[in-house]
Amino acid sequence: MRAVRARGGALASAPTALLRVYLAAVFLSAFVPALNPARVSALIDKNASLFTCAVSYSAIANNFVRAVERGWITRGALVAAYVGALIAMLAVAGAAAAFCMSMGNNKLRRLCALCSAAAGLAGLAGAGVLLAASRAFAAVPDPARIEPLSPVGIPTYFAAFALLPLLAAAAWFSLPRPAKGEKCALAPSRRLFLMLLPFLVLVTLFSYLPLWGWRVSFFDYRPGFDLTKDNFVGLAWFRYLFDNPATRARIGAVLRNTFAMSGIGIATSWLPMVFAIFLSEMRSRRAKRWIQTVTTVPNFISWVLVYSVAFAIFSTEGFLNWALGGLGLIESGANWLMSGSNIWLKMWAWGTWKGLGWGAIIYIAAISGIDPQLYEAATVDGAGRFARMWHVTVPGLLSTYFVLLLLGISNILSNGMDQYLVFSNPANKSSIEVLDLYVYNLGLASGSGGNIPLATLIGMLKSIVSVTLLLGANRASKLLRGESIV
Amino acid sequence: MFAALNGLFFTLFALLCAFPFYYLFINTISNNELVASGLVNLYPRGIHFENYLKLLNVRDIATSALVTAGRTVLGTALMVAASAFVGYLVSQKAMLARKTVYRYIIVTMYFNAGLIPWYLNMSMLGLTNNFWGYVIPAIVQPFNIILVKTYIESIPSELEESAFMDGAGYFTVFRKIIFPLCKPILATIAVFGAVGHWNSFIDSLILMSRAPQLHTLQHKLYIYLNTTNDLGKLMESGGTITSDMVNSVLNTRVVRLSVSVITVIPILLVYPFMQRYFQKGLMLGAVKG
Repeated sequence: MRAVRARGGALASAPTALLRVYLAAVFLSAFVPALNPARVSALIDKNASLFTCAVSYSAIANNFVRAVERGWITRGALVAAYVGALIAMLAVAGAAAAFCMSMGNNKLRRLCALCSAAAGLAGLAGAGVLLAASRAFAAVPDPARIEPLSPVGIPTYFAAFALLPLLAAAAWFSLPRPAKGEKCALAPSRRLFLMLLPFLVLVTLFSYLPLWGWRVSFFDYRPGFDLTKDNFVGLAWFRYLFDNPATRARIGAVLRNTFAMSGIGIATSWLPMVFAIFLSEMRSRRAKRWIQTVTTVPNFISWVLVYSVAFAIFSTEGFLNWALGGLGLIESGANWLMSGSNIWLKMWAWGTWKGLGWGAIIYIAAISGIDPQLYEAATVDGAGRFARMWHVTVPGLLSTYFVLLLLGISNILSNGMDQYLVFSNPANKSSIEVLDLYVYNLGLASGSGGNIPLATLIGMLKSIVSVTLLLGANRASKLLRGESIV
Repeated sequence: MFAALNGLFFTLFALLCAFPFYYLFINTISNNELVASGLVNLYPRGIHFENYLKLLNVRDIATSALVTAGRTVLGTALMVAASAFVGYLVSQKAMLARKTVYRYIIVTMYFNAGLIPWYLNMSMLGLTNNFWGYVIPAIVQPFNIILVKTYIESIPSELEESAFMDGAGYFTVFRKIIFPLCKPILATIAVFGAVGHWNSFIDSLILMSRAPQLHTLQHKLYIYLNTTNDLGKLMESGGTITSDMVNSVLNTRVVRLSVSVITVIPILLVYPFMQRYFQKGLMLGAVKG
């Protein structure tokens, strides 16, 4: 006991530790749609969690506009469902607060036990209101109209919130009575951790939780249906990917486009370096700054705007037709964007137009870091301009180039989809579709007709390969340069 | 000889980068009929500025501009505040499990679940067809957190320590000492964040399919570029039509070009002032290692 006190209550008693884990679980459960106790009708979005229903009334009431107008359900029942969700969510928030308190000293932990008990009781009340709402839904004269459900979340939350006060009591009696004058306190290390916690939750929600979506690729999933044992198909989509000739052919074409465009990019990845070397040879500083400013602007406009620029210049009424017509090179204008030829090179050209000036900046900075004495020494040794470029500047930039090259190689599958989406049209579709665009076209572009599981599977394989490539590039960099790049 | 060729090449490339913007602009202030038949190419002809006044009256575009500006301001402010605060917290050696949580945040830069799981997740969280879907997911940016953390670690720790001695809490130290000192790096990430928000298009396309009132300007422009409708008519009927507007010709090409200019102008206007921050950001990214 003495040891525990001495460390400011850093060691938790077993019941407190149990309570803490339990509180975290209660908090997280509010974000799981399958456990949403407020889904008292099949008309409520099955993707909505308790949290969603509690923060917006419309998540519950959205699809009931007509039902309320026709008197199939009373507005009161909807409001009851919302109020129940709100109370349950407040209880969950109380559990989250209690979780934070459980990190503190003895006194704060006793407060945590009290808070947990209160949250449990409030949660029971919320679950009660939801149960009443669920009964009201089931009791309407024409239930088929509003498709009432008895969500599994209601009994689950009843049980969960009923258990909370019991655990809280156990924790309370396991904690020693606080000494007179003891104040609530939280060790600095924990205070810092708790301040960071909301951001960790955000990272979890938006970066880790999506990984849970990978399970879709093991189901025969259609939007609007549940993932159940009935539509679990195991590795069927993997087999489909390799066995279905049409899919195989399309993926072959997609991979060819992806590797071709990434390959052209990698093969010309030295361009920004050369751009920087020659730009730094210009004498006038003013001119240098101007050129740098103007050539980096395209990097900061979106691909939609690049497409709009392309449209303005290369369409039938555009600048190019006017210029060529004026020179007598063509008879009548054509819409150059509709042509499907040389798409790989055209896409590379747009990428270069947009990115060359920006890509050069990093090399310009590296050049200014090269020791001027090296140039002087080279000049003394009789090196001309090009010899100095080749023997002094280029070696000085190679390590930067190497890192960027490795990163480029590890990104070989990720061309992004913006550029290819905006430039795609029926004429060039077969040669512009890269992996990222294919996943979009396959899964989302055709609305509800998309093949979500197959698109998920391809995206999953792509992610795994990309991470492997990145780790490989990192390993290569460590071996060759003794430094890691990530 | 070399200098001349070199200068010529760079002048030409700079022209290649600048001319399209000039071309867009002169086409939006010239006589609309000439523009429609592609007769405005090197200099404006029949200058007028009605197109812009008219576009601002179109509710569709005004709403998009407002949504885009809103997400840019709000999204950037929250992202910068969060990056500063998180960067500060993870630089505190006293934190519980500091290394683990830092890695937990940073490692998310190197993997992603893919487009479809991202979409399903956003829909599960209720962030589809919802303005917050633009803002909340972009609050925590691991890369910016690295930048801020590195910057804070370069600040002499005596400043913080003396404040702690005087009894200041973590939050006070952050607000009174760290935040003001971090302003240069925060300006840099703010500029990048704002450009990213202003230019974003894919999230609007995928997440807001059932909420046209939440489409960003870039998305609207994409729609206009792909529609074969007579946009001039669309605009005239969507806006408030006064008699003199009916007389003027607002055609598809003019509408596309004008919306493009509206979309690009904020970037072109702030760019010269922000250039130094852009470049600094790139350098920091490079030395981060």
